Amino acid sequence: MDPLTLSFAVINGLLLGGIYGGVALGLSLIFGVMRVINFAHGSFLMLAMYCSYLLWASLGVHPYVSILVTVPFLFAVGYVVQSVVISPLIRRERALVVEPTSALLLTAGVYLVVDNSVLMAFGPDVRSVTTDITYESIFVAGLPINMARLIGFAAAILVAFALSFWLKHSDMGRAIRATAQNRDAAAMSGINVPLIYNITFGLGCAVLGLFGALLVPFFSITPTIGLSFGIKSFLVVVLGGIGSIPGSILGGLLLGVFESVAAQFVTATSAAIFSFGLFIVILLMRPAGLMGRA
Amino acid sequence: MRASFTLILGLPLFVAALILPFVVADSYVVHSAAMVLYFAYMASSWNFVCGYVGQVSLGHAAFSGIAGYASVLLFTGLGLSPWIGMILGGLLAAAISVPVGYATFRLKGPYFTLTSIAFAEIMRIWLENTDEFLGIPLKGAQGLTVPPVGGTSFLAFQFDGKLPYYFIILAMLVGVMAATHVMERSRLGFYLKAIRGNRDGAEALGIDPTRYCLTALALSAFLTGLGGAYYAQLFRYINPERNMGIDLSIDMAVMTIVGGQGTLLGPTLGALVLHPVGEMVRAMLGGHVLGLHLIIYGVVLMLAVLYFPKGIIAPLQRWLTPAPKTPAPKAPAHMVTPKEVEGR
Repeated sequence: MDPLTLSFAVINGLLLGGIYGGVALGLSLIFGVMRVINFAHGSFLMLAMYCSYLLWASLGVHPYVSILVTVPFLFAVGYVVQSVVISPLIRRERALVVEPTSALLLTAGVYLVVDNSVLMAFGPDVRSVTTDITYESIFVAGLPINMARLIGFAAAILVAFALSFWLKHSDMGRAIRATAQNRDAAAMSGINVPLIYNITFGLGCAVLGLFGALLVPFFSITPTIGLSFGIKSFLVVVLGGIGSIPGSILGGLLLGVFESVAAQFVTATSAAIFSFGLFIVILLMRPAGLMGRA
Repeated sequence: MRASFTLILGLPLFVAALILPFVVADSYVVHSAAMVLYFAYMASSWNFVCGYVGQVSLGHAAFSGIAGYASVLLFTGLGLSPWIGMILGGLLAAAISVPVGYATFRLKGPYFTLTSIAFAEIMRIWLENTDEFLGIPLKGAQGLTVPPVGGTSFLAFQFDGKLPYYFIILAMLVGVMAATHVMERSRLGFYLKAIRGNRDGAEALGIDPTRYCLTALALSAFLTGLGGAYYAQLFRYINPERNMGIDLSIDMAVMTIVGGQGTLLGPTLGALVLHPVGEMVRAMLGGHVLGLHLIIYGVVLMLAVLYFPKGIIAPLQRWLTPAPKTPAPKAPAHMVTPKEVEGR
């Protein structure tokens, strides 16, 4: 393997990995606060990508402008899904922690509905968006760096910082962190816990709205793209530590580089085997540490 | 109590299944009914381990694929009868399930579920991208066809008409139920239920959770494998997506969960409700509407998790065999829910 190809793969992996980290932020936030593993996480990303694609295909809206629509739309989707579908489960469970398997099955139901609704509406065709930014690259030390990926990467870092800052210093952020620590104590302190849950879930999905639009210029869309993104996000969250925002970005970078280097040795489709393999190895190596938090 | 309920519900269903093909001779109906039985069989095989241990595997389709491919390849390559190939394939699936289970059963809840998906997806993606392995033609995503021998041949597992296939899968379903019934009352069944109730508690009492989970998983993988080989014979075709894709795993899990996990008839009930609904939707709207039946599965799954966490068999059981009147426990709702007592 010559060093130029390898360094190109590493740079590309870092850029894509940052975006993986950004995509996983919402999963980490939702799990950290509600202890719900959102199986439909990738489906919501897919929904955001379709939303952005549709705006581009029908109205000619640039994907980056469509963020103005996708982010509020995904926030609304998350808010509604949480308040209509998941909150009855949380209300039923009187224990502090929601029974994790039920929550997973519930969101698996959401995944089935969302993925197949999109499949039904748009068919299984692969769609892609071509904009001015798709092929644009800048050269750093003789290596081409794709602009769209760089923007996605920068956005991930930015969102991670903004989210941490907001969670630390705003009133709502404090309320969210309090709810994550102890939902009953938070409720007794006058925090509207169901509202916090709705907002947290909406927020976790709104982040997907952003990255869906940022991914669209260089990532083809199919209705089945969600599951692999969902599994990758889960892997990222596990790698970086559940509930940790910098960890999410770090885990994303690790996965991105790993995948992109692995893809140098095998075909791109088979490279997915490596991320699943990494997923299994990571989970098996520290099951106790993980379960300690869950 | 339980046994009588199983008889009250099961016996009429069994008799109905026996006489159905003689009442309605239409080959489409017989084929659809065979598919219901196939899904009931697969869900029951899934239930054999997952329902009793209380872990949700979404990777069981891999076992179906392994055995299906083994049986088809043994038939086309060596001319071995699919009946033998089916058993060998099932054994292969069981053998593979042991190391996989050894690794994954240490994980709990969602972690187990996601790891099971990862394992099955690795196998599927590998198979889809492998045309030849050690000289064996796997033909990747294209899949394998079973060459017709012409006419009816019991040895080649090929029959004219759908009727023999129907009765074979009916017999298999009765077989898996009998196996489940025996398991429920055996040491293994009690251990599994103890592990489901409280894993640490069971371990403290000297039950080795890994060992018994693995035993049940190997048996379940074997049974699932038989189903996969049957499917390959019914359609005379097998490919990675249909025979080991995640959709099949989801079907098995959803049908069992909707019907009732850890019960003898639950999986069959789930298949009986869900598969015809999916078929009807497909028939009504034509084949061009992709995925609608899965939307319905998703909605039903959500409703079941929220309102019938024990499956639709629970209200049915209450209705068919009313319990003797006992004073209702007066514990306030917020104290200990029945769910927590069971520790599910």
